[in-house]
Amino acid sequence: MAKKGMMLVLAALFSLSLVLSGCGSSGNTAASVQAVQKHGKNITVAVQDNFVSMDPGDTNDTLSFSAEKTMMEGLIGFDREMKMVPVLATSWQVSPDAKEYTFHLRHGVIFSDGTPFNAEAVKVNIDRLSDPKSTLKRHSLFAMVDKTVVVDNYTVKVILKQPFGAMLNNFAHPAALMVSPKALQKYGKDIARHPVGTGEYMLKEWVQGDHLTVVKNPHYWRQGYPKLDSITFRSVPENGSRIAMLKTGEADFIYPVPPEDVQAMSGANGITVQHKPSIIVDYISMNTMKKPFNDSRVRQALNYAIDKNAFIKVVYSGLAEPMTSEIAQNVQFFSPQQPYKYDLAKAKELLKAAGYPNGFDTTIWSNNNSTYIKATQFIQQQLAQVGIKVKIENMESGTMDTKIWSVQNPQDAKIQLYFGGWSPSTGDADWGIRPLLGKDMLPPKGYNTAYYQNSVVNNEIQQAIQTADPAQRKAAYDQIQKAIWQDAPWVFLDTRDNIYGFRNYLKDAYLLPDGSLDIQNAQIVR
Amino acid sequence: MLKFIVRRLLGMIPILFVVSVLIFSFVRMIPGDPARLAAGPDASYQDIQAVRAKLGLDKPMVTQYLIYVKGLLHGNLGTSLKSGRPVTKVIGSRFMATFWLTVASMAWAFVIGLFIGVLSAVKRNKWQDYAGMFSAVSGISLPAFWLGLMLIQVFSVQLGWLPTGGFASWQSLILPSLTLGSGVAAVIARFTRSSLMEVLKEDYTRTARAKGLPPNVIVWKHALRNALVPVVTMTGLQFGFLLGGSVVVETVFSWPGLGRLLIDSVAFRDYPTIQGEMLLFALEFILINLVVDVLYALLNPQIRLE
Repeated sequence: MAKKGMMLVLAALFSLSLVLSGCGSSGNTAASVQAVQKHGKNITVAVQDNFVSMDPGDTNDTLSFSAEKTMMEGLIGFDREMKMVPVLATSWQVSPDAKEYTFHLRHGVIFSDGTPFNAEAVKVNIDRLSDPKSTLKRHSLFAMVDKTVVVDNYTVKVILKQPFGAMLNNFAHPAALMVSPKALQKYGKDIARHPVGTGEYMLKEWVQGDHLTVVKNPHYWRQGYPKLDSITFRSVPENGSRIAMLKTGEADFIYPVPPEDVQAMSGANGITVQHKPSIIVDYISMNTMKKPFNDSRVRQALNYAIDKNAFIKVVYSGLAEPMTSEIAQNVQFFSPQQPYKYDLAKAKELLKAAGYPNGFDTTIWSNNNSTYIKATQFIQQQLAQVGIKVKIENMESGTMDTKIWSVQNPQDAKIQLYFGGWSPSTGDADWGIRPLLGKDMLPPKGYNTAYYQNSVVNNEIQQAIQTADPAQRKAAYDQIQKAIWQDAPWVFLDTRDNIYGFRNYLKDAYLLPDGSLDIQNAQIVR
Repeated sequence: MLKFIVRRLLGMIPILFVVSVLIFSFVRMIPGDPARLAAGPDASYQDIQAVRAKLGLDKPMVTQYLIYVKGLLHGNLGTSLKSGRPVTKVIGSRFMATFWLTVASMAWAFVIGLFIGVLSAVKRNKWQDYAGMFSAVSGISLPAFWLGLMLIQVFSVQLGWLPTGGFASWQSLILPSLTLGSGVAAVIARFTRSSLMEVLKEDYTRTARAKGLPPNVIVWKHALRNALVPVVTMTGLQFGFLLGGSVVVETVFSWPGLGRLLIDSVAFRDYPTIQGEMLLFALEFILINLVVDVLYALLNPQIRLE
């Protein structure tokens, strides 16, 4: 008897190994065709990471914002192109000196706990964000607020300490999603686990590290919305597992999708894969304070020496666009510049003129994820063509942070080339340029890893935030972008695409250019 | 035996204390700034400083250590820098997921591994032995990420029988525990085989055979019992390792366990969570060693617990 049992076990093991070896070759072709139909109105979204906090003012990851936006709304929101649209405020005025912001609020809105939404509620929220004592991670977006005044029940005025022309974008930032004042009082610090807003959905449960579920808010103000009964966000770190979930229908929407998997997934099993330009730019900063990168001819030479289209093919399977300015196309006040064409002869000529006819040795720092490793290797190979020998140092991000930001005196900086990416979460040119290339933003204060200090640029940056007049701001940013582009403190590489996949019955669910998910208006079409 | 257990349990206290000091200083030796990481990718300088003060990271190291030890004595492991929740809660919710996955993996791995090991030892150099050892070598050699993704491809995507991941029902335990247990089953099979073969050569086995006992009784009742001592040691160790969580299996199957938590915490320099997890692992190993020692005595009465 025992023998027979053992034989069975062995047989089972053998057949398992046969099945496994068989599917190695036929894995993709044999995918069963399932009817793409959805029963019920509950959907699952598979995401890469875990949610960190549900307190908008204390959130700094795009993923947490994505879930918060299903439950809470701000005064202003962003549409698909990152243009500002009215949400809880119906209209607003800005004083000419960019110091007073008046908002007219929507009537008849209540938070999902029954608290009415009015000027007093807005004041509670802005006061909390602007108070340094509340130690919120997004305090700096509202640090320049002097006071918030309730004009009448549905009008509120925010007065700044100094002019700040990009302030409207800060109100449109997810950090300024409105939280119920009653809930703030009731939960105190625990508000991060008990979000209450005016949004389409309400929190049902949040199991840390596993899933977060929101359900329909019966009090929601917009007629006919929300269209779904519930949305469950699942944390699925492995790319292959996320794609499998979309194929089986366990997930209705997944992101991110790795660029190299897009081709294989498109059209299969009633799945749609979409890619849209993001506002994330990839660049190489060059330490402009030190040789050899203190010479703009050298910096321009590097721009000519790298074939951006080839870079995009190799690193992002073609799913990115070459940069045409320091900021991406969907960032406000973007103005396109003349691209640096791939031209080795010109690069060599510039290097010769700068006194480096045979090139030089340098080092590039970057993160050690597989995309960045691929990117730096490609850069190394390209620059070798003009005699620049690049040593690659891919580091774990915490380690690299220390190397970059523990430097107190710019003269001590060891950084030469640095490959990185930036996503200005406010969607405004100010946050796309000032922290990276502003004079006061050298490490450790900011992110100016190029140690770039150009007084003309810096004056214009200041000009641009002294006013809220779009025409004046545009004129300033036109000049800034042109000057930086010519001065080339960076090698301008690419703007990445956001890539996401969903099952065909899902409509109106997409990623915004800032990488956050817009799913609160989603519906199922049969 | 009771006295032995109590003494060993008391002996844990100084060990854990030393471990806590080591962990506290080691995590702070890793380069990286938790305040910068907690403040986020595009935080301003003021925000970073505010976060540093809020997390208490601006205090001198000694003060931080005293706060930590004071918390430990009250059973408080501190607050996670990442999520702001108490570390005991963060770890607690992940521990159960890892625990059930470990139990399920070890259960099938032990039974199957033992069967294959015994079969291979008894049918030494016959085809059963070769087949058994072939599966064992495959079990050790198959990388978990490959096996996991293949199981998902077959049983979730193509057949649609089992969920691709998550920790929701008993069905969701099947694929991850198969993946995690395959290596363990293989190791157990090999240990059992070699250990049993040794025992089968012993004089008392020959005596038992001469006495006319049926071969099954000799193998399962007499020989295996003695052969189990090294197998139990190894199984205990494996159990401890699995309780530490498996990053690969947890990643492939979206399992909310301790392995991923540890990796996330290290990447985030979440000192209190790293400390809490390492302390838990140390405790688990000490307890498992104790259980293994007690099992020795039960398996072989010649072994005395001193």
